[in-house]
Amino acid sequence: MTAPAPDARRISVGIGQLAISKDPAEILVAYGLGSCIGVSCYDPQSRVSGLAHILLPSSDGKRTEDREPARFADTGIDLLMTRMAASGAVVRRLVVKIAGGAAVLGPANAEKFKIGERNAEAIKERLKRHGLTPTTTDLGGTKGRTLELHPASGKTFVRTAASPANEL
Amino acid sequence: MQEQLISTLSTVAKDGAFRAGRGLSGLMGQEIAIHVPNVRVGTKADACDAVGGEEAIVLGAYLSISGDITGHVMLLFPIPRALECVDLMCGQPPGTTVEPDELSDSAIGELGNIVGSAFVNALADHLNLILHPSPPTVVNDIAIALVESVYAEVLSQGGDVVMMDAIFEDYSGKTAGLLIVAPDPVSLGRLQRVAA
Repeated sequence: MTAPAPDARRISVGIGQLAISKDPAEILVAYGLGSCIGVSCYDPQSRVSGLAHILLPSSDGKRTEDREPARFADTGIDLLMTRMAASGAVVRRLVVKIAGGAAVLGPANAEKFKIGERNAEAIKERLKRHGLTPTTTDLGGTKGRTLELHPASGKTFVRTAASPANEL
Repeated sequence: MQEQLISTLSTVAKDGAFRAGRGLSGLMGQEIAIHVPNVRVGTKADACDAVGGEEAIVLGAYLSISGDITGHVMLLFPIPRALECVDLMCGQPPGTTVEPDELSDSAIGELGNIVGSAFVNALADHLNLILHPSPPTVVNDIAIALVESVYAEVLSQGGDVVMMDAIFEDYSGKTAGLLIVAPDPVSLGRLQRVAA
């Protein structure tokens, strides 16, 4: 395992975006996951890393917009797998970790804002179709999370507004 | 059609932001400048730049709108500004409140109530609608996590996401707050009809 370089570049993976990296000098970051879910995957052999910032559970057959290619769990996970494989990763070897899916507008609004919960279910279901199960998850609750994936080591870290980074 | 709606909403948003800013100004006891609100279709992560960018932690309040139309209102402050507001509202010397607590939650909830309601009332008056803001929920979290959750909720209902944001600044040009308003897509048609 290698630590990221001290001057590692943080690549922000925004809402509905995904990024692939083999560069140990990069850190992939999904800032402020609320009801969204960050899907981190790493192939320990090819050392390919990928991170997707999923917004909604299902495309319902709608065409994915180019500006948010990972907006939906179904089409976003499929695209993440395609891009990982195209970069040299083997899908069945991937170590997948997911975090997010909170109800950040508080318990009073949790009944209305159930997207986080639905996102988690949809992502696990879609991963299953690719023969994958997340090894670790940090889901639900009422606090937003920031998820980091370090291609140098394949390690994933999660932090919240109130807590420092913990390895996932 | 969408251009016409956005134009109408821009007019309403200006008045709403003015009324909300006046409420904020009165509560804080200082002049507050209001930037012309943005009314845009699409993701609003860039609105978070006003409160400190991708990693900014904010304190604020969320209200839902019910009645003739439904939607969402959020008022967000960078933490130091939120605590300044709390001290001003409570008549305490600036710097008395050093971190969010029960008292600051209560004060920020009240602030969200007054400022958010001012905006909702402007919308109701302009378009002759009956609207009810909900009691405020106090939020203390990463700004983007809050904004994206409203974005996701609106987008999940299908149709367009129209989010209005207004930035309040104090006399020194520092951001005093960010107001975000998003009607649910089902209400956009109704807004279109009453605005025509």
